[in-house]
Amino acid sequence: MTTQPKHAEKISLFISRSNISTEINKTGTWRFMRPKYNEKTAPCSAACPAGEDIARIEMLSNQGRYQDAVETILLENPFPSVCGRVCFHPCETVCNRARLDDPVAIHALERFIGDMAIKDELTLKLKNSPENGKTICIVGAGPSGLAAGYFLSQLGYSCDIYEARSEPGGILRWGIPRYRLPDDVVASEIERIKKTSVNIICNTPVTQKFLQDIKNRYHAFFIGCGHGRSLKMNIPGENMAFDGLEFLNLLRMGKVSPSNGPAAVIGGGNTAIDVARSLVRLGTTTTLVYRRRKKDMPAFKDEVEKADEEGVSIMELYSPLEIHEDDGEYVLSLQRMKTSGMETDRGRARVVPDSRIMQHLRVRKIIVAIGAEPSTLWQFPSRKNAETLCFSHCTFTASKPPLLFGGDLTNTTKSVTDAIASGKQAAMALDIFFKQGRHAIADCLNSCLVGNGPALSMECYMGGNRLIRNPQIVSNDDINLDYFFRMPRVQSELLDISNRLNSFDEIESTFSTNQAMEETRRCFNCGICNACDNCRIFCPEIAVILQGGKRKINLDYCKGCGICVFECPRSAMSLEEEL
Amino acid sequence: MKLVLEGSHAVSEAVRLAKVQVVSAYPITPQTHIVEALSEYCSDGTMNARFLCVESEHSAMAAVIGASSAGVRTFTATSSQGLALMHELLHWTSAARLPIVMAEVNRALAPGWNIWMDQTDSLAQRDTGWIQLYCEDGQEVFDTTLQAYRLAETVNLPVMVVLDAFFLSHTFEPVDIPDQELVDRFLPPFSPRIALDTSDPFAMGQMAPPNVYMEMRHDIQKAMEQVSGIFTKIEEEFTQIFGRAYGMVEKVFCDDAQIIMITTGTAASTCRKVIFDLRSQGEKVGMLKLKMFRPFPTDLIRKHLGHVQKIAVIDRNFSFGASGIFAQEIRAALCNNHDHPPVFGYITGLGGRDVTPEILTEIYWKTKNCDAPTDESVWVGLVD
Repeated sequence: MTTQPKHAEKISLFISRSNISTEINKTGTWRFMRPKYNEKTAPCSAACPAGEDIARIEMLSNQGRYQDAVETILLENPFPSVCGRVCFHPCETVCNRARLDDPVAIHALERFIGDMAIKDELTLKLKNSPENGKTICIVGAGPSGLAAGYFLSQLGYSCDIYEARSEPGGILRWGIPRYRLPDDVVASEIERIKKTSVNIICNTPVTQKFLQDIKNRYHAFFIGCGHGRSLKMNIPGENMAFDGLEFLNLLRMGKVSPSNGPAAVIGGGNTAIDVARSLVRLGTTTTLVYRRRKKDMPAFKDEVEKADEEGVSIMELYSPLEIHEDDGEYVLSLQRMKTSGMETDRGRARVVPDSRIMQHLRVRKIIVAIGAEPSTLWQFPSRKNAETLCFSHCTFTASKPPLLFGGDLTNTTKSVTDAIASGKQAAMALDIFFKQGRHAIADCLNSCLVGNGPALSMECYMGGNRLIRNPQIVSNDDINLDYFFRMPRVQSELLDISNRLNSFDEIESTFSTNQAMEETRRCFNCGICNACDNCRIFCPEIAVILQGGKRKINLDYCKGCGICVFECPRSAMSLEEEL
Repeated sequence: MKLVLEGSHAVSEAVRLAKVQVVSAYPITPQTHIVEALSEYCSDGTMNARFLCVESEHSAMAAVIGASSAGVRTFTATSSQGLALMHELLHWTSAARLPIVMAEVNRALAPGWNIWMDQTDSLAQRDTGWIQLYCEDGQEVFDTTLQAYRLAETVNLPVMVVLDAFFLSHTFEPVDIPDQELVDRFLPPFSPRIALDTSDPFAMGQMAPPNVYMEMRHDIQKAMEQVSGIFTKIEEEFTQIFGRAYGMVEKVFCDDAQIIMITTGTAASTCRKVIFDLRSQGEKVGMLKLKMFRPFPTDLIRKHLGHVQKIAVIDRNFSFGASGIFAQEIRAALCNNHDHPPVFGYITGLGGRDVTPEILTEIYWKTKNCDAPTDESVWVGLVD
């Protein structure tokens, strides 16, 4: 048989055909919508008090660019290893992935990056601002003071941090039990801060008198002394109860020995949970007494769940009335409470005594952790003082020298990550003050917000790439879910309960590199271009061009069909009306 | 080798042996089995072909248009709503003169939802410039698919191979599946007259202003007019190799018939029995099976039907506001013949309803007992 169809020559085939290049037809003239590369803000980074660029960090980790990932995280937070353990991770609550299966394990990934930075001694290769000759006095080497020092040193300042205790770290060193935060993690991250122009002076309590003496040696003061003094219950026999913070403090100093006999812990915050879980580890049968409902507890949910698992029995809706001693033990009298309407300001149920129902707990030890206040008597500037500027995480008074308060003293949410946010905000506020004056602080801070804030970005403040990021937060509807498949969330390995109760060993293990690789694959990288190339592949006009690793739109031919924007899985592009 | 195959797989086997290079389709009952088998052949290496998964029939046709423009042999298949969704691109295919072959399984259109046999879907595409070939059984649909490639690639027009939902697509029959070597003798590799070539770029299908558009359309018709001659020659070659032939129309007892029944698809098989039975009762009845619908074999219709007394057309389709579509076409073919016979139109078997020997017998007697049609269409077997 012939390969040429027999009748081909007889059949006419009159169709339109042209050898002239169609390049002459600049289809771009048809356009009334214009696509553009428009990186946006991931919801996780906007929810992070420290404003970490999480979507980018996960992308870099997934690409194996660990040095870049570490630098990206350290630009915004000097404590990734600490926060990867103790942060309450609001990032995961807002993760867009939750609509598909489960949120990305951002918290565990932060810990992975932080631990890798410590292990491999990866640090920020800072393009630091040159030293500006100014020295700042920081009171308190807790997370806010250390963060303030760290960020101020990035901006060219020298800092002296005065710490009353023998070692720096504040709550990290003295208030959080080891099973949540091992000593070496805290020490390593503080060590990294010490390598900047931060000088930590321990065993030096700052009194008003001391402050007067050193007043002239510094260009500004940051007070971040925290809430070190516990609140009182104001009930008869209170003096027989032990203070929660003090208990944790002694525990960290190794001065608490195992004890039998039942114990009661009063309170519903993180300190109360820490105390209860520590007691359980010391072999003590422990009951936690809280005056509201369990679900109203201000402690992080995870922590409450773990306390449950570990055998802490939680008595909700009981309020302490009285403590008295009886035959070498203590009797804690409790009043049954009931809910009565809502408290409008905090969204939890108001409680009132439930007639005469009482309960008596017979225990060997009572520990109270119902909240704390500043431990030293400071002359706090009144919020009404016209001279004082109040920001989300610090206050600034343009006295001579300028005076800033931060950390738990000013933060609504008393968390480690908020303390870091406070140090960052204070450092930026002070730098703006010195460079542009008091009037510029508010606007300038606003220009560095991550998304709608209140988190701030030091990378933005220092003029980094993140400045061009659109503050618009990527919503679930902006994600093209066709490109993502269900994948199980990687779980870090946990000590089983029996092993937990024998020791203060850390419960969770850090992700392995493989686990981290698998988990970072789950990240949508909301709003961030990860060079997937969909825009270029799908463009019907071949109008997306790759030049020196960067994608550009050839507007001569782009018809504005929007396919590139639609096919971008992660909303790193936008379509705008042509003007 | 004879295999017991369902009609769908007879198509798949023909496509495999035709060494099609690109298949793209979107599944729809009752077409699914055809492309299911092909997707397996593509994935397990039985066929050296790409199977393009798409999100709609519109895209399936667009994909094979692209592939065919690049000069490779292509296949797609669909049914009912899927064919309707392809409509725009059906015009494109023929006007771009692309030799695409498509299997179209006749299925009713919704609503109400109905997945069964009905010809309205394919007949509604009669003006799109596709050649349409209606098949009666598994062997015919296998053979016709192979012939369709020869025909399409010769005249540069697309071919629709049409088979009845379930009655043919899902019915198992012995089908002779020849060796590859024999098929290769009949169907050489596709050698396109025009194909896109990245080393010598050109544009196809661009603007055609009034001074050329009409000529282009006339050119399609000229090609259509050559189809009957070419089809006959192709089928002669086919017969030499495989020993089978069908013709554009098939006449059964037509020569001395006074009444001729016109059927298509699987109803033709039923009609064969009815004709035999009626003949044994002494009735002068014949059957004309219409295989080729586009181009419409007007000459053959005039030749075979011009002098009978009455014509009864069995339509498993309907053009609302008019009549059965085959009846319309038969009337149109005959109307310029002087003294042509009356055409009785019968509508039956819509939406998968059986066309039984009893119904066909009833149609015969109705036709015989009426001097002239009272209506353009008589609906047979309606339930009150």
